[in-house]
Parts: sequence; C-alpha cells; structure tokens
Amino acid sequence: MTPILELRNGTKEYRGVPAVKDVTFTLHRGEVHALVGENGAGKSTLTKMLAGVVTPTAGEVLLDGRATVLSTPAEALRHGIAMVYQETSLVPSLTVAQNLYLADKRFFHRLRGIYIAGQQFLQSLNFDVDPMALVSSLGAGQKQMVEIARAVHHNANVIIFDEPTATLTPEEKHQFFSLVDRLRARGVSIIFISHALEEALAIADRITVMRDGEHVVSDEAARFDRESIVRAMVGRSLSDELYGARARRSPREAREKVLSVQNLSMGKAVKNTSFSVFSGQITGVFGLIGSGRTEAAKVVAGVMKRDTFHGGQVRLDGRPVRYRVPRPAVRDGIVYVTEDRKLEGFFETMSIAENIHLSAVAGGRSRSRVISLREMKEIADTWIGALNVRAINGDARVIELSGGNQQKVVVAKALVQKPRLVIFDEPTRGVDVGAIAEIHQLINRLADEGIAVMVISSYLPEVLQLSDRILVCRQGRIVEEFAGDSADEETIMYAAVH
Amino acid sequence: MSVMGRLTQEQIVFALAVLLCAVFALALPGFLSADNLLNLVRSVSILGMLGVAMGLVVIGRGIDLSLVALMAVSVAWALQLAATGMDFVQAAAIGLGFSLIGGMITGVLIAFVEIPAIFATLAMGTLIYGFGRYFLFDLDVVYLPDEARYLVWLGQGSLAGVPVPIFLFAAVCLVGYLFLRYTRTGRYLRAVGDNLAAARIAGVPARPTIVLQYMLSASIGYVAGIVTAASVASMNTRVANSTYVYDVILVVVLGGIGLSGGRGGIRNVVVGTLLIGILLNGMTIMNIQYTVQNVIKGMILLSAIVIDTFLNPRDEQTAQQGDI
Repeated sequence: MTPILELRNGTKEYRGVPAVKDVTFTLHRGEVHALVGENGAGKSTLTKMLAGVVTPTAGEVLLDGRATVLSTPAEALRHGIAMVYQETSLVPSLTVAQNLYLADKRFFHRLRGIYIAGQQFLQSLNFDVDPMALVSSLGAGQKQMVEIARAVHHNANVIIFDEPTATLTPEEKHQFFSLVDRLRARGVSIIFISHALEEALAIADRITVMRDGEHVVSDEAARFDRESIVRAMVGRSLSDELYGARARRSPREAREKVLSVQNLSMGKAVKNTSFSVFSGQITGVFGLIGSGRTEAAKVVAGVMKRDTFHGGQVRLDGRPVRYRVPRPAVRDGIVYVTEDRKLEGFFETMSIAENIHLSAVAGGRSRSRVISLREMKEIADTWIGALNVRAINGDARVIELSGGNQQKVVVAKALVQKPRLVIFDEPTRGVDVGAIAEIHQLINRLADEGIAVMVISSYLPEVLQLSDRILVCRQGRIVEEFAGDSADEETIMYAAVH
Repeated sequence: MSVMGRLTQEQIVFALAVLLCAVFALALPGFLSADNLLNLVRSVSILGMLGVAMGLVVIGRGIDLSLVALMAVSVAWALQLAATGMDFVQAAAIGLGFSLIGGMITGVLIAFVEIPAIFATLAMGTLIYGFGRYFLFDLDVVYLPDEARYLVWLGQGSLAGVPVPIFLFAAVCLVGYLFLRYTRTGRYLRAVGDNLAAARIAGVPARPTIVLQYMLSASIGYVAGIVTAASVASMNTRVANSTYVYDVILVVVLGGIGLSGGRGGIRNVVVGTLLIGILLNGMTIMNIQYTVQNVIKGMILLSAIVIDTFLNPRDEQTAQQGDI
C-alpha cells in the first residue's frame, strides 16, 4: 500500500546549517504516528516541510506516491494536509462558527446559516463546543477542538499536531486522546509531535524518533517502551539519572523558615492560601494549570502586575514584606524564574553575556554605574561554565540557543543575583532530556548549599524526584502537604484534582 | 546569499548613501567640494540631534511625537523671557526646566498610567503647543534678543573651518553612544525596550527608566532647539505643527532602529541622517521642487525597508531560531 504522505531524503538547511538531514519519513493511511525527539532534533522542521510551511532544500514530498511541491500551507491544505500549531491560529474576537468558515471560498456568509451549519458539523464530530461562543472565551482544550474541527472541515485527511498536549490539563488531554481516536476511526492520518513519551506510547500506532536532525528509528509503537525511546532519543540511557534516582535519599532537613505566607488572597486566582519555604531544602508545589500556584508565587516575588491584594501576609525571615514590583524583592534575595522564558525570561536582542550581566547589575551585584566590559565577560564566563551552557561563546544571542540552553541562561540570570529564595516555575518546560537532568542537578545543588528553593511544576515525576516537601495546590489554595519520601503519584494527583 | 544575507538595514542604507554620493559627485560639479560637504552635514545636524533623541526613545520601545513641539515651545519661552529683560542664561535654564518637566509628565503618563506612547506623546505635543501659544508667548515667531547675539555663534560660527553645529551634533552622538554602551542606565533602557516583562523580573527599575527616556529626549531636543534658534536668530513655533517630527522618525527608522525596541544604536541615527543629508543637498543643488523631494524621500525609505525585508526575511525561522 502506498503511504498517504512521504518525505523522501528530505533535507532542510537554514543559512547552511542543516536542521533536518536526509530524512525519509512515511505516514500510512489512517495511522497515528508519533514523532519524538529532543528539542532541536528537527521534528518541527520535518513536519513543516510536510505541511508546506517551509520547502525542503533537497528531497521531495510524495503525496499518494506522486511527487508534489507544497510551497504554501494553503496549497498543502488543498491537498488535504492541515497543521495544528501549539499556539492556536484562531481569531479570538470571532465566534467558533465564524472561525470554522473563515477561509471558505464564499465571500459572504449569513451568520444564522453558519451557526446552524456549524452546530451540525460540530455535532457530527461529537465536539461539545458552542458555535456561537467567542473563541477568546474558550479554554485551551476547546480551542484545540475548534482548530481540529476546522482542519476536518477543510477535508483534511492528514492532520499534523505540534505538541498538542503541552498546554492542556489532564482532563483536556483525555478529551484530546478520545478525539484522536475518533479521527482515526474516520480514516484521518495523524502525525503528532510530543515530548511526553507516555502519550506517544499510549495513542500512537507507530513512533519515529529523531536526533540532531537525523532519523533514528521508526517502528510499531508496541515494540517500544519508555526506556527504549529515551535511549533512541539521546543515544544513551538516561533513565537512571532522571527517574530512577528518587529512592536514593531521604529528604533534606528544613533549616530556617525563610518565607512564610499566611492567608494570602489575590483576585480570583489565589484564595486564602498559606505556606512556608525553608532554606536548605526543595519545596515542590504541584497543581494543575489554573490552580493559582504561579499567581501565588508571583505575588510573593512582586512580579504580578496590578495585583488586587485582598489581604494576608507575606513574611521574609519573619519580617512582613509587600512587594509591588520585583526590584525590591530581588534586592531582598527573592528571585522568580519564569515559566515562559520567551515572553519574560530573556532579552532577544542581547547576547548571553549581556543578558547575564544585566541581571547582575539590576540585582545590585555590580555596584558601578559605568559598565565594565571586562567585568561583564568575567561574570558571563563564570556562569556559562557553571551551568554548562552550550554556545560558541558569550557573544552568541540567546535566541539562537536550543530550549535547554536558553533555560540555563534564564537560570543563570536568576542565580547571578545571589538569591536566598529561588522560585522555579516549570523549570524544565520545553527543555530536552539531557538539559532536564542538568537543571535538576543544579536545583539539588542549590538546596544543598542552603538556599531556599521552591519548584512549581505540573509534571508529577519532576515534583516527586526533586522535592523534600510537596505542597499541593488546588483552586487557589494549598490543600495538602506531603513529605518528599512519603508521597506517591496517586495520592498527590488525588489531592490536586476534584 | 551568505554575504548578502548578513547585511543589516544600517549597512544597506550606508551603501545607498555612498552610492548616492558617488552619483552626485559625478553628476553635480561642486558636490564633492569641502565647502559643500560641510554645508551638507551642517544642514542636517539639528535633524541628527533630534534623531538621537528620538532614537533613544525608540530603542526603549517608545515613540516621542511631542519632541518637536516641546523643543519649539521651551526654546521660544526661553527667548521670550530673555526678550522681556531676563538674563539669557537664567531664561535658558528656565526653558530647560520646562522641557524636562514636559518630558517627565509624558514619561509618567506612559510608565505609570500606562497610556500607549503614541497617544500620550501625540496629546502632550498638542497640549504643550497650545499651552505655550496661549500663555507663554504672543507671536508664532519669537526672536533672539540682542543681548543674546553671542549665541548666534552656536548656529552660524565655525571652529577651525568646521561649522559649530557639526561639533554639537558629534557631541550629542558621542554622549548618546557612551550612555547606551557604557552606563548602567543605558543598559536598562535597552532591556526595557527589548522585553519589559523580563526587565521587571530581573529587577530593573522599569518605570523610572521609561520616565528617564522621555526626559532625555526632551533635554536633547532642547539642545537642538537652542542650536535652531541660534542658526536663524529666532524660533518659529509653527514647526510644532509641521511634519518635521516625521522627518525625525524617518531618520531613525531609515537608519535601522527597529520600532520593536531594543535594537540599534547611535550609529544607525548617524547613517540615517547622512543619507537624508546627501539626498537633500543633491536635490537642492539640482533645484528639485520641495514636493518632489518629499516623493523621493518617501521612496528611499520604502526601498530601504523593502531591500531589508528581502535580505533579512522575517519568516518563521528568524522568529524562532531556537527551535528548529
């Protein structure tokens, strides 16, 4: 049987640097094909070639066995290939139905008509979305449904998902998987890029692993397990380093209470929450997205903008504090490492060295009003070395680095400020497996050195593996606390949902 | 493509300027004479100074549409005070104070009240001009009083054969360059322009930095205004209602300082200014009508941007080079 879509010996170079090297990839009719690999492995580039977003430097795309040139996404869509991005491409100020019929050939639509048609269409897919709702009012999962519905509406028989589950809550993920099943039942072929290996193993028929722009292996999903995928992804077995190490130690003892938060309330996100963070240990905060964990941390560090503070108290070393901007918090030794590094983590027009140095200066670790280029280089080299940032040199731009190395720079920017309390918000989101291990080691080292560390994460294995104490956040409150060695996944998850 | 691909807009504009220079040198006798070249730079040095002021604001991801209005009104008031018998130095100090307060109000509106810079400065420009016209002076044109005649040297004099405004332009550029590159505050300005949220989290005093950037542009604008007044022995406040401020933005954008903030530096302003200077000078020698000059200016700006878009495409790869 000819595959529905094939990339034969595809190569894509950006400015002479190959992102994908001579890769052959086949997608069979009606299969769900998972594409996994570290950041920078070339997964996105590969799928973009298939979806007409970029054109291959060499090699060809075969559609039903015929060589086809897909030079624009619109052309790919005409051939029935649709790509669903992580960031949605819906128009937030229009309704669901308007979005569905947005790219239709007809110039004019009667609103009533498209609401009725949209309703019928969504029902035929068994999607529970109101066609008259504004897209901006939908949750991430529902937006994704609309996006998929639009792809199906355009008669797509190949749908490519780029990290579809990254921003979904567990419930929404569940919905998404059943959706994939329904699409498969309709005969749609699906490629999906994922970082979450369990997902790939659970829903894919076949799995392809890529590494450094090259094809490593493609096989039936049943022939893989977590271990073998990780080995294929990194070319070495990392599992001990990453997930097997938890049994090895007892939790660190709490030293002094650095931060204590009492009855903090803020807007709708944080309700009457109380918790403490101690020096010399890692306090893990687990909660689903929207449970108010990020907001609570941001209020503490003064990062929240225009926060409506509804009472409660934050104490640093027993002294009441209230930060309206991050600067005084940074000066007092509280730093916040953001969950979204592209949005608020680094300066893309500046080099690595300038980024790190700016934090040192802004954090009051370099007193002089005049910048010394030598001092900048010294500070930067120290931290680039300490965190093992892989870049040609300190003059490289942060934007040119891989996700893991970008994250290391963001962490360096925090640590250069000599903090006493570090709040890591999703420290390994969008970071490749190798860098995850390094960042985890670093976080452990900080706690060993006596710094108070708080790690917010929605990835349970990460929380379990790092934390000496685990706080569970649900609906704006800290609802439960566990000792790091007494908790397991089920009990924590049980506390976090409901 | 490998060499071409790394050309920045600044380099393209510089190349264009050199090319134009060569064309004019061949076509127009006298264009390359020392006198004409000095005159060329002199004629754009005020524009260049204002370009530095605007450039600093744009690097901080703002824009200052009140720059020219504030310059005209504060200098005109200083001249008016001097004309009514005040010591000129004192009057000039008061004018500078007015200018700084104007800049500060703009900055506070943008940084603390969080009004978008384009609206805040548009409104402030109109307000300042109206306020000045009604309360501070009676006529559109305020003349330099006789006691302050010595000031004319700033605008018309020369040092070692080089007109003084060129020195002043160079000085403003030098100060701006050192500020951006070697001071803590200059770094803060770039950081705030690049990514305000990241700057806040890093502990940069973001709002004070924004206020400062408008005060800086106001004070550089004031210097440019004094040189203007010195060149023609008067200040014509109608310039506040002209399209002059767009010429200033033209210089900044042409030089390659991106409106998205954080990018570019003083060198870009200098390159943009030189291109405009060469163009205006050549066209004046060729006796091209003012309206036609505008058409050519606009076309040059567009072509610089178009060439830049071709050589440095802003496609998805450039937007997220980190994740290939």
